[in-house]
Amino acid sequence: MANTILSLLQSGLGNLAAYLAAHVLLCLLPAFFVAGALTALVPKEAVTRYLGRSAPKVISYPAAAFGGFVLAVCSCTIMPLFAGIYRKGAGLGPAIAFLFVGPAINILALAYTGVALGMDIAVARIILSAVFGIGIGLIMAIIFRKDDAAHESEASNGVFAASAKVPVGVWVFLGLLIALLIAGTLQVGLLTNHYAELNVPIGGTDRFQAALNRLVPFDAARGEEGVTVQGAVLIVLLALIGVSAWFGLNKVDEGYNRWTWVALALIALTLVLAAVRMIPGAESLRIQLTGKMFAVVLAMAGIWLAARRYFDEYQLQEWLWETWRFVKQIFPLLIVGVFAVGVIRVFIKPEWIEALAGSNTVLANLVGVLFGVFMYFPTLVEVPIANMFLGLGMHRGPLLAYLMADPELSLQSILITAGIIGRLKAWTYVAWVALFSTLAGLLYGAWVDGASPWLILLALVAGIAILTLALRWVGARQAKQSAT
Amino acid sequence: MEIKVLGMGCPKCKRLEEVTREAVKEAGVEAHIVHVTDMAGIMAYPIMSTPGLVIDEELKCSGRLPRKEEIVAWVKGA
Repeated sequence: MANTILSLLQSGLGNLAAYLAAHVLLCLLPAFFVAGALTALVPKEAVTRYLGRSAPKVISYPAAAFGGFVLAVCSCTIMPLFAGIYRKGAGLGPAIAFLFVGPAINILALAYTGVALGMDIAVARIILSAVFGIGIGLIMAIIFRKDDAAHESEASNGVFAASAKVPVGVWVFLGLLIALLIAGTLQVGLLTNHYAELNVPIGGTDRFQAALNRLVPFDAARGEEGVTVQGAVLIVLLALIGVSAWFGLNKVDEGYNRWTWVALALIALTLVLAAVRMIPGAESLRIQLTGKMFAVVLAMAGIWLAARRYFDEYQLQEWLWETWRFVKQIFPLLIVGVFAVGVIRVFIKPEWIEALAGSNTVLANLVGVLFGVFMYFPTLVEVPIANMFLGLGMHRGPLLAYLMADPELSLQSILITAGIIGRLKAWTYVAWVALFSTLAGLLYGAWVDGASPWLILLALVAGIAILTLALRWVGARQAKQSAT
Repeated sequence: MEIKVLGMGCPKCKRLEEVTREAVKEAGVEAHIVHVTDMAGIMAYPIMSTPGLVIDEELKCSGRLPRKEEIVAWVKGA
């Protein structure tokens, strides 16, 4: 009994350590800073002005779908914005498109999905959710045409009159932050090759590595990862960042203090150390200076210069405050989630997953979607969970179906949505999301299985064409009915 | 003076309430501060995103965290 509990704990902690060491740093750390910058520095009016009543559909739908990138970095902002777009702005259709695409398109989810599960899934998630989000929005707008027209009278256009431009400095700054993110995560020869090597005379690192492997045993065949010496160093640094940021960034909007600088320096050091390659040996620790490291250093220097040049003190403080707020809000839940995934993994037999969702069938995709709807996981936790399923043999098609459905739909968000747009509309929305997520999984799964991308594109275009025609027909009939 | 902080309880909204309380103290005025958390109450004002700050029924800003000095100026001006 004691042994079982011990091995469960070991599995949980091992999963956590492996995650912190491997994925989190080079992708999530910069991604948090990007999210902070998007929230603090980009004026929301730059997007919301395209979401007014008077905006033509061709503009308002895509703006609602892609606006999520800027506006909805976390789920807590999605609901107020959704209500705003619905009640005061472009109406039900664009609001629904925003609600659907928002969670899939935010920078944190995107970076994390890309690194942990593969860029192909991340890209498929964006494209398919944007296309289907707009589709579902259009369908909902047609189905509930009358209610929406009645809403028109309540809407106020004043909110959207405010126009704002994104200053050049913000573009440059965001570009550099995203460059840092890409430099840290992209796996190409130019970045992964090393151009110089250092020998640090620290003896016995090979024994340290062996000890780590004993402490965190892993089975590569089951998709598990161990902890390297480098990973152990990074975990310690992460903990130090956490402590110094707590003192330095909690009230950074009131000014910097000594801890602020300690935290920032530690973050820079961590990013650099995460970018080099460390090879433990008996006599010394070999450190290879990779292209990645040089790129990370360059990007950070650029960020520092741009920050000094384009922004005043308060804007930078706001940026740091927002970044830290995201970390505080999301990171603890993520840690608990990753630990729990490690524990649960022990109980799930690969055969079950194989049998349920091992191949790309309609049933398998439906299972993925249903699991996503009835399980609620906090922001980003869906990624390690998906990773576990992937390791246990889930097909990538159903996996995408799950990833599309999980953040978009949960019982909790369905209830809140129902409070804003009414129960009938909310459940109609849920049905369409379930249908489209299943479809997305099937299409992507077919692509993974080697079906011709042209054939899939053709199916997609044909599907959209049929849908558009059907909607026009329904729309025309309704218009005729209301005319007579 | 009646000050409303609009927000569904997100960290930014809580921070805005803190900063507003400090600003009111700094300005040395009498003010009653309420935090409006229900969606209907928030949507009664022309805002798209939270947090929002309403002073004497006039919306001063939304979607961002204003500086303390800004709030002090609004409070004094009202």
